[in-house]
Amino acid sequence: MKKISNYVSKNILSTTILLVAAFFLFLPLIGATEFSLRDGGPDRHSFRSYKWIFEQSGFKENLGVTFKVTALAVVLNLLIMVPTVTWLHISGQKYRRLVEVVTILPLIIPVVALATGAQTALPSFLHNTVLELSFMYVVIAMPYSYRALDIGMSGKPLNTYVAAARNLGASWLKVLLTVITPCIWPSVLAALFLTVALSLGEFTLAQLLHWSTFPTWVSNVSQENILGATALSVGSLFSAWLLLFGFTFFGSNKTDSSKDKE
Amino acid sequence: MRNTAESTVVVKGASSSRGALHRLIKQIPLPLLPLFIFLTIFFFWPIGAVALKAFKDNDGAYTFTNIQLLFQDPYRLAFKNSISLGFISALVGSIIGLILAIAIEKRGGIRLKKFVASISGVLANTGGVPLAFMFLAAFGPEGLVTNFLKAIGIDLYEWGFTLFSFTGLVIVYSYFQIPIMIIVFSPAVSSLRREWQESAENLGASRFAYWLRVGIPILLPSFLASFLLLFASAFSAFATARAMTVGNIALVPLVIGSLLDGNVTLNQANLGYALALGMIVISILAMVPYLYIQSRTSKWQK
Repeated sequence: MKKISNYVSKNILSTTILLVAAFFLFLPLIGATEFSLRDGGPDRHSFRSYKWIFEQSGFKENLGVTFKVTALAVVLNLLIMVPTVTWLHISGQKYRRLVEVVTILPLIIPVVALATGAQTALPSFLHNTVLELSFMYVVIAMPYSYRALDIGMSGKPLNTYVAAARNLGASWLKVLLTVITPCIWPSVLAALFLTVALSLGEFTLAQLLHWSTFPTWVSNVSQENILGATALSVGSLFSAWLLLFGFTFFGSNKTDSSKDKE
Repeated sequence: MRNTAESTVVVKGASSSRGALHRLIKQIPLPLLPLFIFLTIFFFWPIGAVALKAFKDNDGAYTFTNIQLLFQDPYRLAFKNSISLGFISALVGSIIGLILAIAIEKRGGIRLKKFVASISGVLANTGGVPLAFMFLAAFGPEGLVTNFLKAIGIDLYEWGFTLFSFTGLVIVYSYFQIPIMIIVFSPAVSSLRREWQESAENLGASRFAYWLRVGIPILLPSFLASFLLLFASAFSAFATARAMTVGNIALVPLVIGSLLDGNVTLNQANLGYALALGMIVISILAMVPYLYIQSRTSKWQK
């Protein structure tokens, strides 16, 4: 009985903490949403500021550019990171420290400094396309995606799974796609979301390398109209959130149903 | 024993400079090559260029003038501001994030975790400009939050509050710092297995003893490491700072940004690289404790 009451009181404390956190999280969100709906005064509300967004030139083009850059960044990131981290856990254990140190550098080295270097050091054929941003985004997403995958694989008997699958005649590609990936699916999703979220909202590199993407466009357009700027900010945050929430929710239903039963 | 064997390999490799690069590449196993080639082109090479150009004058001759300028105002002040901002916001973010990560884990529920994961992902990274404008709208003199607080008797603006200040920046930064902390730290909290607590309790440990001997030793390295990540992220934040300050707080990233945009007097062409190098050096200094922690935990894990 003591155990149960302990558990309940712990839960109440945690729930209270989370509710307080949610309050402070949503307070500015709600405040900004209300502000963005204002029409000429604090008491009149309409969607005028949202309509204003779509009337601005460059909305569609810049959103398109950002989607393109994001898609390439996600594909590149998973293509490089999933096989690499898998190999590190299966047979490259002695290189794990090295890769861990190397992959954290992009987070430790400030993006502003990276942009300063990229501006002079990247080959010119890359400099001429906005897709150079995708490559840079893979670099700055790497600390997060490496860690997400590494944590997902740690403590899992990957060697046993791989040996079993290989003994049954599976190719390495098949092992990677049908054994490893499902086994670490939450981590793969986490790595994917981080890259998507980071690429969708990345401002520093785009701005300093003088590319026009959705975030830099928002920043420019915002100079003209504070209500419109707020509407844009609220809109972009909520749509990014909806997108990612959809991904998490529908993407991982299968694997997580087993966890629910635990 | 294994360590000494590894270090002799390193010494051997370094002793002959001829073909050292070739040997280095040969030492990297094939499966790691894609990662290393990618990072060399898009990371090491650009950073190397920064380090080199920081020591060159306009004519390409080597000089220390750019570096010397970093220790004089206004650049000295910019570094001081950026470091304090990084430290304070990392402190706030890591402690609140720690509490939340533990609360989320205790509260359990896969749906809650999914919800938190997605919202943290968005907030941690789409921060920047949208975040700044949202705060300006909500906490502005006419904002809903300001009015709400006024209605319950707290008049922010009577106290001289403004978001365009150091405190304002810390508040806004914590809206991406806390989510980053939750993202980075939650896996560590989840790795605390319930069985460990149960076995500790079965062996007669109190809850306090469990945390002191098991929980905290396991979580502390991750906590310190996460703190350093938060420091780095706030120290180098550009977008939010750019939207939130009106030139009243000098921060290193903003100074570099304006230099890169071409606001340069003729004799300072490479000053931006020196500032970038200064940021890199400070960030690396923050990383040394992280590496130390890592080596400790890897020993413990074996």
